[in-house]
Amino acid sequence: MAKPLELLEDTPGKKVLLLANEAIARGVLEAGVRLVALYPGTPSSEIGNNLTFMAPKIPNFYFEFSTNEKVSLEVAGAAAVAGVRSMMVCKGPGLNVAADPFFSLAYVGVRAGMVIVVADDPSMWSSQNENDSRYYALMGNMPMMEPSDPIEAKSMLLEAYDFSEQFELPVLFRTTTRVNHTRAPIEFGPIPTLPDKVVFEKDPFRFVPIPAVARVQHPWLLDQIEKAREVSETSPLNFTEGEGDLGIITSGVSYNYVKESLLEMNLSAEILKLGITHPIPEKKIIEFMKHHKRVVIVEELEPFLETHTRRLAQLEKITVEILGKEQGLFSRCGEYSPRIVTEALCKVQDCNTPINWEDIDKRSDTVLDLPPRPPLLCAGCPHRASYYAIRAATRGKAIYPTDIGCYTLSIAPPLETADILFDMGSSITTACGLAEVTDQDVVASIGDGTFFASGLPGIVNAVYNQHRICLVILDNRTTAMTGHQPHPGTGITGMRKEVPPLDIEEVCKGLGVKYVKTINPFESMAGLVGEVREMVKWARENHSPAVLVSKEACALLTAADRRRAGETPPKYYVDEEECTACKRCLNRLSCPAMYMDPETEKAVIDKAQCNLCGTCVSVCPQGAIKREAE
Amino acid sequence: MSSNTSNTVNIAISGVGGQGVLTLAELLAKAALNEGLNVRVGEIHGMAQRGGHVVCTVRIGDDAKGPIIDAGAADLLVGFEPVETLREIHLIKKGGYVLMSSNVQYPVAVSMGKAEYPDHKEILASIKKFTDKIIEINAQEIAIEAGSPRALNMVMFGGIIGTDLVPISKDSAMQAIREAFPKKFEKTNTTAAEIGLERVRNSI
Repeated sequence: MAKPLELLEDTPGKKVLLLANEAIARGVLEAGVRLVALYPGTPSSEIGNNLTFMAPKIPNFYFEFSTNEKVSLEVAGAAAVAGVRSMMVCKGPGLNVAADPFFSLAYVGVRAGMVIVVADDPSMWSSQNENDSRYYALMGNMPMMEPSDPIEAKSMLLEAYDFSEQFELPVLFRTTTRVNHTRAPIEFGPIPTLPDKVVFEKDPFRFVPIPAVARVQHPWLLDQIEKAREVSETSPLNFTEGEGDLGIITSGVSYNYVKESLLEMNLSAEILKLGITHPIPEKKIIEFMKHHKRVVIVEELEPFLETHTRRLAQLEKITVEILGKEQGLFSRCGEYSPRIVTEALCKVQDCNTPINWEDIDKRSDTVLDLPPRPPLLCAGCPHRASYYAIRAATRGKAIYPTDIGCYTLSIAPPLETADILFDMGSSITTACGLAEVTDQDVVASIGDGTFFASGLPGIVNAVYNQHRICLVILDNRTTAMTGHQPHPGTGITGMRKEVPPLDIEEVCKGLGVKYVKTINPFESMAGLVGEVREMVKWARENHSPAVLVSKEACALLTAADRRRAGETPPKYYVDEEECTACKRCLNRLSCPAMYMDPETEKAVIDKAQCNLCGTCVSVCPQGAIKREAE
Repeated sequence: MSSNTSNTVNIAISGVGGQGVLTLAELLAKAALNEGLNVRVGEIHGMAQRGGHVVCTVRIGDDAKGPIIDAGAADLLVGFEPVETLREIHLIKKGGYVLMSSNVQYPVAVSMGKAEYPDHKEILASIKKFTDKIIEINAQEIAIEAGSPRALNMVMFGGIIGTDLVPISKDSAMQAIREAFPKKFEKTNTTAAEIGLERVRNSI
């Protein structure tokens, strides 16, 4: 769908159905942002996926997929310091990667508007933790806004840039999955023209936070936050609506659930909806509490607003019942829903829920046991062949540190080649630690995108400290999990410009790795298994890191290329005569394109799903899997 | 069970990653927007998408604010596959409809012999614990008939319009399809939707 180009339309007033992430990409245009730098991460990915195709068509605009989040925050931060509007985007754990510049940036501030979009992931749909990034705003003293839906994702973004410029501070723009991945009708606004190059005016005693400078900047920052609080007190982004004895304080996506619950319950309450959640409007919250005997705080994850509210009640000696997570009314885990909010409000009001969920839950328990269908490696995924070989070569006995990408799915049977994971790049460094304190072979794996993002310091560490680790770099020529963004190994930039790609093998050699080989995982399974064995042997004998690059494009890209070209190559099939129903292919590969015929118990290849990797051919001991003739 | 949000039409769409669940949800919402209606779509992206169970929500009406459909709140549950239909059956409201495609896609756990795919009759019996308004078609066969197995989601799109449960005209639906795909796939997709619509309309 031609969405990125639609987002460029200069048609103010037009209403278009957009994902909040697309609305943010459009907001970049309407806010006159000159530079966006980001590293992709779900649930924020579609912001970059759209901007990269919009960028070459916007005069004076620059977009890049930076090497990682720390890099992107520094690139975007410098642009705002120089005096143009900029943006950095990341997922929750991505802000952890960028934490170092985050704190400094708040100290030195910016000359033009800057927004840091952070997309948290309650319920961890695509993340390794559900850390609540709002605490970064508190800890770093950076103003924060929280849109509650796709419409606010754009309108509030424009406000965030003005706010940022008013106080010379970046604004943390905090979303959650259910905001990022919701679609709603969005009205286009006008598009300003972007400024050309600016001149960087030197002011080292502001922008170089040596201790003497930082000691001046810290009180400045605290002062700016107090000035910002005055605006937060009167800003229409922090508003009350409705009336009733009950008071509800909420922000972000929970606001929608509160509105829907009140409607469903036919309950009146006054809502204080906060768009600016740092600095919070203290006077407004105090006034709100004075008007209610009971105030319920509805927010996902940590009791952020709740703690603030309790603090203010104590300071002002307000007698009010504050109900939230502290009493167990709400959970600190997982995302909320209208049901969760309704059930809590019904508990507070001592009434029955409008839908009899108890009955539904009871009936659900009587439903058949269903076979699970967890996410898994796609049909034709080259990682399947690589992991099959890694497991076969090491008989499942090595330790398999893994990393962040599609390949983490190798945790599932039958591949089971994921043993330890902390964060981006940790495959290599955890391997170092494990190789030092165990006598087991250690075969780590990392994707090409993650290798460039966070793998390089680990390689240097392994080389210099002579760790006997094996590393398989799964080079599928893209950042697959987040939606096929380019990385430094692909030869395409965020501006869609062709540039010389960085060669992974050469990079490893340049960093001092003595054993580096590149193979294609689809060429020969026996050959692949042999290569893994040789690598393991070499690492042990030489007490140094050994690297095998397993290079083959992501199956989804290959399949899309074929469809575009109208190619229909010969299909694979199982020869029923020769298949002995041993189920080796089914049990060892767990390929979604293969299933068992319930009557004959023989394997069948679903031709519509098969992506033609041919890995099953080499796994069949009977030679029963064949390819149709040309 | 009366409810104040009864003017919101809640449609839950359940299937397997790669079947086109997300595309259907988006097109359904675009068609609603073509009708001048307020709409919200809830989607799941990223890791959860890879060949696993996927559920999307489409909510049409002025009171639709958030993307989530609670248990017992869906007017229509659209299932691309029997087991995935049953997996979300708790969403259906009293008197709600199920539109299900009967073609089976075996989960890997079943292929590996670690789990069994339930008998079709048992699946229907479980669904009937929640509603007896079940419309069943073989969307995969219809899609192949229309020109491509990949058009399964468009068969279901037509089927949704055929239920007359959503305030979307056939014209708006067809317009949304035509605007979404390249010209060379248009015939397959519109044909798939047409047949889906007719089959469902005739089966009610």
